[in-house]
Amino acid sequence: MNGPLKSGYLLLFRSDEWYKELSHDELQKLISQNNAWIERLMTQGKARTGQPLARQGAVVSGKNGSRISDGPFAESKEVIGGYLMLDVETFEEAVAIARTSPNLAYGTSIEVRPLTDECPLDACERQLAQEGQLATAAA
Amino acid sequence: MSIQTKNGYMLIFRGTDWHNGLSPEQMQQVASQWMAWFKRLTAEGKVVAGNPLEHEGKIVSGKNGRVVADGPFAESKEAIGGYFLLKVDSLDEAVAIAQECPGLPYGARVEVRPVMDQCALSGEAQPETQLAETTA
Repeated sequence: MNGPLKSGYLLLFRSDEWYKELSHDELQKLISQNNAWIERLMTQGKARTGQPLARQGAVVSGKNGSRISDGPFAESKEVIGGYLMLDVETFEEAVAIARTSPNLAYGTSIEVRPLTDECPLDACERQLAQEGQLATAAA
Repeated sequence: MSIQTKNGYMLIFRGTDWHNGLSPEQMQQVASQWMAWFKRLTAEGKVVAGNPLEHEGKIVSGKNGRVVADGPFAESKEAIGGYFLLKVDSLDEAVAIAQECPGLPYGARVEVRPVMDQCALSGEAQPETQLAETTA
């Protein structure tokens, strides 16, 4: 890993702890569905890597990171419960894959985001510079 | 703050609006600080992956994924701008790294989350399996 990846898509799975309401049989079934889903994507070379995240942790903010608030984040529907990195060519295909997740039926939502190797700050700075040139040209 | 995992931690950079007030020079400075930070952590073997994310995106939800919405991504405090995957052994170390984020003085926030080796679903299924075996 020498730097940011140039392409690909990140799926972020968000949900509350809906799975705590399921029966044991329902859970087992869903686990096998999820495993099969991910294995198929891996075999097809469409998923690169993915991991679940604990519903614990911390949020760091403030100058010099002086504010640290602890998780957990159990209650919220917005909590990210895991991610999956996709190696596909188009945004449409990434969305199409997201739509086949077995967890959607239970209220999980999936954020689909393109990876980039350009820092958003650089992009922003370039845009400002262009606007500056335009303003100068117009003056 | 004693959560330990052999799987590492994910840093999630929150906020896509904090750099709005910066001058182009300041932006360049923060961007190069950020890249230097990423490269140093990579050289130290503490970062295994990391990427900025484009602002555009979609949210898929509903049974069979029938709801596909644009977004979230008007610039906001909660929107995710990028992530690092850390290979460190303790939450304390992950938090200490998060505290070095060059965006913090300008209002960026960093969420630090332990990576699990099995999904929460399996975790839920586990105790009941054991119970079932014990009663069988």
